[in-house]
Amino acid sequence: MGVTRRRFLTMAGVSAMGAVIFGGCRVPDREVLIQSPARLPEDLVTGIDNWYASTCHQCPAGCGILVRVMEGRAKKIEGNPDHPLNHDPVLHMSKTCARGQAGVQLLYHPDRIQGPMRRDRATGELLPISWEEARAELVGRLRELRDRGASDTVLVVTEPLRGHLGLLAREFVKAYGGQHMAFEALEETVLREAVKRVFDQDRLPDLDLANAEYVISFGSGFLETWLSPVRYGVAYGHLRQGREAKRGYFVQVEPRLSATGANADDWVYVKPGMEGLLALSMAYVIVSQGLGDQEASRLLTRGQGAQYLAAYRPQDVAGAIGTTPEKIEELALDFAAKRPSLAIGGGSAAAHTNGLFNLTAIYSLNYLVGSVGQRGGILFNPAPPVAGLPVAEGRVPFDRWQELTGRLASGKPRPVNLVVFRGANPVHSLPQALGFADALKNVPFIVSFSTMMDETAAMADLILPEHTYLEDWGDDLPEPGPGYEVVSYQQPVVRPFHNTHSFGDELIMVAKELGGSLAQAMPWNSFKEVLQAGARKLFELNRGSVTAPDFDSFWRGVLQRGGWWDTARRGLARPLPKPLPVREDPQFTAGEYHLLPFASISLTEGRGAALPWLQATPDPMTTAVWQTWAEISLEDARKLGVSEGDFLEITSSNGTSLEAPAYPNPAAPPGIIAMPLGQGHSSLGRYAENRGVNTFMLLQPATEKETKALAWAATRVTVRNTGRRSRISKFEGSVRVEALHEVEIVRVTKG
Amino acid sequence: MVQERPKHKWTMVVDIDRCSGCQACVVACQAENNITINEQRDFLQRRAKEWIRIERYWEAIDPSKPAEFPNVKARFIPIMCQQCDNAPCEPVCPVYATYHNNEGLNVQVYNRCVGTRYCANNCPYQVRFFNFWEPVWPESLRNQLNPDVTVRSRGIMEKCTFCVQRLSRARRTIEGRRGKRITDESMTEENLMPACVMACPTGALVFGDREDPKSRVNELLKEHDPRQAKSVAARGYRVLEDLTTEPNVVYLKKVDPHLKKVKAHA
Amino acid sequence: MQERRPLSDVQINKALLRNVLAAPLWFWGLVLLLALVVAAGAGAAGWMFNRGTGVLGVNRPAMWGFLIVNFVFWIGISHAGVMLSAILRLAYAEWRRPMVRAAEVLTVFSLMTAMLMPFIHSGRPWRLAYWAFPYDFARGIFPNIRSALIWDPSAVFTYLISSSLFILVTLLPDIAVIRDRTTGIRHKIYSAMALGWRGTPRQWRLQGIAGILLSAIILPIFVSVHSIVSWDFGMAVSVEGWHATIFAPYFVIGAVLSGVSAVVTLMALMRWLFKWEDHIREEHFDAMGRLLVVIATAWFYFFAMEFMFGLFTLEPQEVALRQLQVFEWPWSALFIIFILTAYFIPVPLWLFRSVRRNVAAMFWISIMVNIGMWLERFIIIVPGLLRKQPFTFVWGSYRPSPIEIIIVAATFCLVALGILLFSKVFPLVPLAEAKEGQILADQIKVGKKTIPAVMREE
Ligand SMILES: Nc1nc2c(c(=O)[nH]1)N[C@H]1C(S)=C(S)[C@@H](COP(=O)(O)OP(=O)(O)OC[C@H]3O[C@@H](n4cnc5c(=O)[nH]c(N)nc54)[C@H](O)[C@@H]3O)O[C@H]1N2
Ligand code: SF4
Ligand code: SF4
Ligand code: SF4
Ligand code: SF4
Ligand code: SF4
Repeated sequence: MGVTRRRFLTMAGVSAMGAVIFGGCRVPDREVLIQSPARLPEDLVTGIDNWYASTCHQCPAGCGILVRVMEGRAKKIEGNPDHPLNHDPVLHMSKTCARGQAGVQLLYHPDRIQGPMRRDRATGELLPISWEEARAELVGRLRELRDRGASDTVLVVTEPLRGHLGLLAREFVKAYGGQHMAFEALEETVLREAVKRVFDQDRLPDLDLANAEYVISFGSGFLETWLSPVRYGVAYGHLRQGREAKRGYFVQVEPRLSATGANADDWVYVKPGMEGLLALSMAYVIVSQGLGDQEASRLLTRGQGAQYLAAYRPQDVAGAIGTTPEKIEELALDFAAKRPSLAIGGGSAAAHTNGLFNLTAIYSLNYLVGSVGQRGGILFNPAPPVAGLPVAEGRVPFDRWQELTGRLASGKPRPVNLVVFRGANPVHSLPQALGFADALKNVPFIVSFSTMMDETAAMADLILPEHTYLEDWGDDLPEPGPGYEVVSYQQPVVRPFHNTHSFGDELIMVAKELGGSLAQAMPWNSFKEVLQAGARKLFELNRGSVTAPDFDSFWRGVLQRGGWWDTARRGLARPLPKPLPVREDPQFTAGEYHLLPFASISLTEGRGAALPWLQATPDPMTTAVWQTWAEISLEDARKLGVSEGDFLEITSSNGTSLEAPAYPNPAAPPGIIAMPLGQGHSSLGRYAENRGVNTFMLLQPATEKETKALAWAATRVTVRNTGRRSRISKFEGSVRVEALHEVEIVRVTKG
Repeated sequence: MVQERPKHKWTMVVDIDRCSGCQACVVACQAENNITINEQRDFLQRRAKEWIRIERYWEAIDPSKPAEFPNVKARFIPIMCQQCDNAPCEPVCPVYATYHNNEGLNVQVYNRCVGTRYCANNCPYQVRFFNFWEPVWPESLRNQLNPDVTVRSRGIMEKCTFCVQRLSRARRTIEGRRGKRITDESMTEENLMPACVMACPTGALVFGDREDPKSRVNELLKEHDPRQAKSVAARGYRVLEDLTTEPNVVYLKKVDPHLKKVKAHA
Repeated sequence: MQERRPLSDVQINKALLRNVLAAPLWFWGLVLLLALVVAAGAGAAGWMFNRGTGVLGVNRPAMWGFLIVNFVFWIGISHAGVMLSAILRLAYAEWRRPMVRAAEVLTVFSLMTAMLMPFIHSGRPWRLAYWAFPYDFARGIFPNIRSALIWDPSAVFTYLISSSLFILVTLLPDIAVIRDRTTGIRHKIYSAMALGWRGTPRQWRLQGIAGILLSAIILPIFVSVHSIVSWDFGMAVSVEGWHATIFAPYFVIGAVLSGVSAVVTLMALMRWLFKWEDHIREEHFDAMGRLLVVIATAWFYFFAMEFMFGLFTLEPQEVALRQLQVFEWPWSALFIIFILTAYFIPVPLWLFRSVRRNVAAMFWISIMVNIGMWLERFIIIVPGLLRKQPFTFVWGSYRPSPIEIIIVAATFCLVALGILLFSKVFPLVPLAEAKEGQILADQIKVGKKTIPAVMREE
């Protein structure tokens, strides 16, 4: 090979470089490889790509995804255009959220646990072992406990499980005799209970935002992380501009301007926990003016009409709610007039000691305007197509964690001898005041199936890392579903990247090795077999989106399409209104400021913190990234003499205390400190560790009165300016941003 | 016989009334285009790269009073390269590292860029991002990199390309192999719409070919062309239009039923 | 105005060649000191090449910072040489003689230093091959001649080549003098450089014509160079405050102001360091002071016009920018320092003959002017970028990093070092000019007074 032009240029480059370097500092070789400047990005095309349908597991919504795979590597996640949960019927595309997009980073995370590990007793170090050894260790311990008759001291902690994995866990725990508890940091217990009480439903309903004319949302961040944000995002697009000459009106009622609230036509401030009272007052206006549906009004008020609600006249309660009587009336009249109208609630409205009261009052409003079971209102989800498939296996409210903590700490009434963690990180996400992490230290043997070394896994004695969802089989029943029967499928889109195993497979293997009744209860060879057995039942239904002459074709069909659904099988419930609840006020401890934690749009309650894309995703309102901050009103900031970046010491009524830099937020109401959840990890890989603070730590372990769910919005704090400061890392520029009226960037027209 | 390449004019329509500020587009773009991880120091240095960004503006409900609770609202607007037909970034580049192609794209040829940063100074939309540091990914994260997109080394300018690699793929598979015209439908089917558009839950981002009379962007542009339609429903405008940069990104105005003062601004 | 002491050719040679033939100890000490700072600057640049432009303080939206400011500054300084040599030569200004050479040398070294700036600024200078040189014709990769960054190197290179030629031509007779006073290897080198200069009448005539011709050619180049440098900014339609149509003459006159001031600095230094009181006399400072009053006032007029033009339009963006430049911290402080040091302190002082004739005062004032003129460029270049359009969302700030500060400091030492080393090799005051001045000196009687005068040059 002679000297080609490329080579000549390279050499020319090298010698030119010689002139500019000196003193031993070296320019990396690739710097001087002058690539052809004639190759244009337009002309660059490489390779063949494959797309596999699967299910997103970055949050509990369970959107359908397509994964682009090239040469055995997952490259990009898109929405599965076929999937009913997150598809846009007009654009024929399926959508994803920021978290869903980042799934590939979980797969290739540099700090994933690469294989099974066992803690060395002497040194406390985790040392790699083989899967056989690891499983033998777990099986040995389980067998020993069972033989001792102490199988009830075995606890399996997971995230709420759905589909066949839930079934498998249920079988396992039942046959072994242990206990299963599903942990959900921002639990939807209150919402589930409210839906049960108001609508007699076991499954969460579908919200037909797309076809509503008027939407009033009490605290639910449905455009951020609440329930099924992509589905709601798609619907929101249609609410706004999806219909000919019709634009839905949207009101957000909440004590802090969330990103969802920022999109509302009208953001209505209420004092924390007063959402339900506002709903009752709206009901009063509607009923007293005879604007509500007659039958519903009668049933909701026990036949007493406005009299039943007389205590909630706007002029009497507006002060307590924190708004004006005129505003309440305006909301009520619009809600009654602009039909179909929809009232929804959740998020912080549910996270008070009176959360259930709030939500039942809010959701009951839908009866007044005839929106229950109607287009543009609340639509119901049918039972799973295959009987017995769980939608939230093992979910327990907060008080059970309190109880458990007591049991762990005292060993009474029964000690806990072994805990298995999978997909749950309670050490990070339970309030510090509870003392869960300390109590957990009393457990003699902790097993973790975590993919990443999270705080809970860091306490484990045995680590059996499971696949990520992109490497594993699975199925899912989206909850809330799209109003009809759906089973999503998840398939491995790439070969396992590390020496990891499937959690389902491991349960089966452990059962096999334990033998006896357990092996009988779980007669399969792999989790995929379980799935196929389940799919066979769907196949036998012979209806829905995939039908086939034989099971193999059916199986291929559901994998190709990412699932099975039957649009004809809808939730057709027609529940009857029940009397409106009576006023109940939230209870708080003492404290000058009200702490409103909120789920980060990218990190959720913390699970996303490991992924650098999500860490770097700006918070929509503050554009802050990679840290925790405390939003404070301009008025309070002036009062405390703080400006952006000044560290605030925030002390909870239970004495726990954190420091976070202040972000004076022009939209923040005085008296409220809002802090994102998700940071403050002591363990979770290089991108999460030792950054920000864990807002969960501050929370008062108060519970919702009836459901005993964690009332995570019920904490009061005191705030002190520490005098230290740092710059907040954020995308927004260094100048306070207000739209310049002279030269508009965002233009607005009158609606 | 030489075949004429079908003409295209790529256009993005951004409906601000739909955009919820959810940042899905931002991460989707990050994932598709091999943009380096924006670390905390990058934000502190104001050097984070987001080819598409969501700008949030505070605005006073009553403009005569300061924008502070309760007299405040927030607005979101996604900003990416506007693919100006009259791009100020182009004539200043001494080495043609940024040029205009015949499909209306402002193309960035990374290999040519010598790092003067002149173009970034001259881009009125501030959408050009410079690689101040050598991009590094932990070895395992490199598995995710998109082979269709050049990884930029340090010293190079980059920006939104309208996902030109997807357009090239569309040209090759849809036009080349199948001999069909690229349409909204075929691009959607093949997942070849720009990554941000594919992700955007609310459908705020709409992309397409203005040369295709049946495309959605054409429909929207026709419906919202302020010169043709008289009603307020014609919400189309282009950002900093008076600079005559002739952007190929058209915005549809936010609708605000409570607008206090309608600004008369051409 | 010729207050000189009549000197013989031998005295002139001795005084002016003292440093060339036998440099004193302080000279080497100074060289070492400057070289150390330059090495620090080179180290800083090397560090940046190795680590990336990230070590600079520039960021979005201010993509240009100290290095570009410094580039414009040194281009400005380079205007001194030609301004003095060419204009004064063409105008037969007798008092030019002692400082033309130094001014020309200042031109060449400041130009070379200026050109280093964009090279360092880009962060990967080895890539500049296809910026400055079109090398890939076959594939149609040409430089973009619409870009001011192509005009700019073309103009600056042309200026550098012509000023180097200029110096060489005027140096020939002096090189021959040194050739005749050296032996051995130095003799050989000077012989080669003298290009066979024998001082024949024909050679003197040709040299004189070449000097005048080059002066005439160089003048338009000199005007074009800083005009084009101003267009680096003027062509950026999107940056507020960068595109006043008056930029070209405004930049040229500003360059002349800072350049001529720099010559005053240099004159004072030469007088002190080389003890050339006989050659660089108070009258020369006086003349420079008068010239500077005119230049500074002309500059101030353009400055005021540029500022006014910005406000004329009443565009909110332009007005906001002026507000930022003048009223907002820290720009307000910089602005006040700039306007005081560039105009309001020096010009009133220069009006006093006693100040003009006080070498120390002139030295410090000239330095002050250049502090002001450096700030002028900074205030033009950076604030416009920080607020370049109504996207308040991305408005930012700029703070130079230590690397930038070291590099900027090193450029001052680099220029000084260059001139110092030049003075070791060639006389900084042209021997021939000094002698010619002696020959042409005359005294004429005006009334009762006898005043010095010169015979006209041909
Ligand atoms: N591309 C291009 N460039 C051109 C030309 C072209 O055809 N094409 N034409 C050239 C020609 S012929 C000309 S004359 C020039 C014109 O060039 P300019 O003189 O720059 O003309 P304008 O932009 O029309 O006006 C200048 C500014 O004056 C402001 N103004 C208006 N009225 C008043 C007033 O009463 N008082 C003050 N203080 N300000 C006022 C306006 O707001 C505007 O910002 O452009 C030249 N440049
Ligand atoms: S909403 Fe949840 S399931 Fe859907 S894409 Fe986002 S993270 Fe995935
Ligand atoms: S938006 Fe900026 S980068 Fe994009 S084409 Fe226009 S000027 Fe160039
Ligand atoms: S930074 Fe690169 S693309 Fe921009 S003007 Fe300079 S060379 Fe051209
Ligand atoms: S079009 Fe492509 S490159 Fe541009 S912002 Fe969207 S995803 Fe990024
Ligand atoms: S994805 Fe769509 S809705 Fe979300 S921020 Fe981007 S443009 Fe707006």
